[in-house]
Amino acid sequence: MIQIIQVLILGLALGGVYALMSSGMTLIFGVMRIVNLAHAAFIIMAAYISFWLFKVWRVDPIVSMAVTMPVMFLVGVLYYRVLFASRADNPRFTDITVLVTFASALVIEGVLSYLFTGIYRSTSPVYATRPFLIGPFFVPQSQVYATLISIALIVSLWLFLQYTRVGNAIRATMQNRNSAQVVGVNVALVSMLSFGIGLAMAGAAGSLLSFIFTFFPSKHVAWIGMLMSLVVLGGMGSLMGAMLSSFLLAVIASYVSFYWGPTWAPITFYLALFLILLFRPQGLLGKKMDG
Amino acid sequence: MIDKTSSEIAVQASRHPHISKTSLWLKKGVPTGALVVLALFPLLQIAFDGYNYWLHMLLYVFLYVIMATSWNLIGGYAGYISLGHNVFFGIGAYLSGMVFVFFQISPFLTAPITGLIAMLGGLLFGLIALRTRGSTFIISTIALVLLVTELLDNWKLTGGTNGLPMSMITLEGQYAKIPYYYYLLVIMVLSIFTSYLIRHSKFGLGLRAISQDEIKTEVAGIPTRRYKILAFGISGLFIGMAGAIWGSYLTYLRPSIFLPVNIGTTIVLMAILGGKGTVSGPAIGAAIMIAVNEFVVAKLGATELNIVVTGLILILVLLYFPEGIVGTLKAKNLLPSFLDWG
Repeated sequence: MIQIIQVLILGLALGGVYALMSSGMTLIFGVMRIVNLAHAAFIIMAAYISFWLFKVWRVDPIVSMAVTMPVMFLVGVLYYRVLFASRADNPRFTDITVLVTFASALVIEGVLSYLFTGIYRSTSPVYATRPFLIGPFFVPQSQVYATLISIALIVSLWLFLQYTRVGNAIRATMQNRNSAQVVGVNVALVSMLSFGIGLAMAGAAGSLLSFIFTFFPSKHVAWIGMLMSLVVLGGMGSLMGAMLSSFLLAVIASYVSFYWGPTWAPITFYLALFLILLFRPQGLLGKKMDG
Repeated sequence: MIDKTSSEIAVQASRHPHISKTSLWLKKGVPTGALVVLALFPLLQIAFDGYNYWLHMLLYVFLYVIMATSWNLIGGYAGYISLGHNVFFGIGAYLSGMVFVFFQISPFLTAPITGLIAMLGGLLFGLIALRTRGSTFIISTIALVLLVTELLDNWKLTGGTNGLPMSMITLEGQYAKIPYYYYLLVIMVLSIFTSYLIRHSKFGLGLRAISQDEIKTEVAGIPTRRYKILAFGISGLFIGMAGAIWGSYLTYLRPSIFLPVNIGTTIVLMAILGGKGTVSGPAIGAAIMIAVNEFVVAKLGATELNIVVTGLILILVLLYFPEGIVGTLKAKNLLPSFLDWG
């Protein structure tokens, strides 16, 4: 019994980070219909920035979020501006974005491998290896911090979307791009901004996971499968859905890893992705990707 | 991506009403000549040795021509983009390889059967996955690759991530590549010929109609679902066969050789660069990309940069050159007749 609860706790402690990783991706899809397959690559890029700051100046990875978030925001704005801004009205837009972002992910992977080699990296602040011991249960400090920060960020994103003018404009664009334009929303600006915000979330996620996982440039492929499963299960474009599915799948994967061994955990995500795409493409709380 | 209406396609088909005798000679002669040169090339190696590098490069080209041409059947003709076509490659290699390791039956004998089994797998996957379209379909093909990779990584019988070693072919180094060369050459010719036949059949017309407007095609009475599934299955046939031969050629099976996503992406890039939906385009794209990759590795000396170049070219081609080489030349009426296979 204690073991079963322990596994549940470990799963929940990862769920928040997964939610942060997928929140940016689902936002980007919701606003622009871009399936950002480079999201995991951007996350790893941010993780490398944190790693580098930690190695050179001993900057704590949580503090380095102050760098990764704005940097990734700018990267996102530029990336959107250069590749997608002028193509939003192409009828095959979503299909093209899938391939373009995937190709971008390969470019990022190649550049990172060139700069940092393929060696497994992680940052090691003091709390990375310390656990909290609560009664009979064991909770890694790093995962607790990461999940709490992730939830705080997602809640602030939600509040921003719900209660600010810009947030309302973003939600209006998500609901109906054309109508939003008709009532005076600057859809082009909103899109660019959303891409920036989405990647800022990726930046934060990168900093946080730099001390809970080991990473290397080609790791993004495994993570993009995982992220896709979270985003698709939650319903593309739904922030709450992404959060729900992140905790759900994190817990399931945690049990799979406990009963069948950690190498089988990724299969949980891929199988889930496969089955959801085929049998409930709209996910738990979202809309279908294609029409 | 331009959307051609069916009337435009009809106009294009009737654009060459009169073909002179010399151009007909060129149209048939150049491909035949190229084939004869390729068929005779290993004689140089047998007679003089020292051409193993070129044989190896040509083997690479054949392999990717097979894959890009096969991908084109579903990705080009029908417009259903699969990023996971190297799954067939892996299936072929592992099936034949395991039969060889456990029962000592040569992959040269089992390759056609593995091809058929890969095709069966394609039909099965198509039956489930082709209910989706657009980006949902693309992502489900990525999910398929990741799933198969994980399964092979964890399967004890195939050695997991460590892989499965196979014994070498019992030929001297001078001749060792030649059987593989001819086997892949034959598969390549068959795959291109199949692509040609499909392109000029009612089946192919149906597939191309699907890529223009699936709902209208369905309304016109074409069994779109059956067509798509069949195209997906056939596209697995030759890749599965090539996988069997390639596994034996490398004498080693490992998921990371056959199933990394950048192989699937490279196939897509080759087909789109050459011209998706054309018969000769994917072959030309494959040859060009192999040359570019080899150049990058040789000159820049970094395999990491290889993937950067692949990614960059793919982005540029998708955004600025979506019709590819053959497609663009054809639209401008500049395509030499010996490359115009439909």
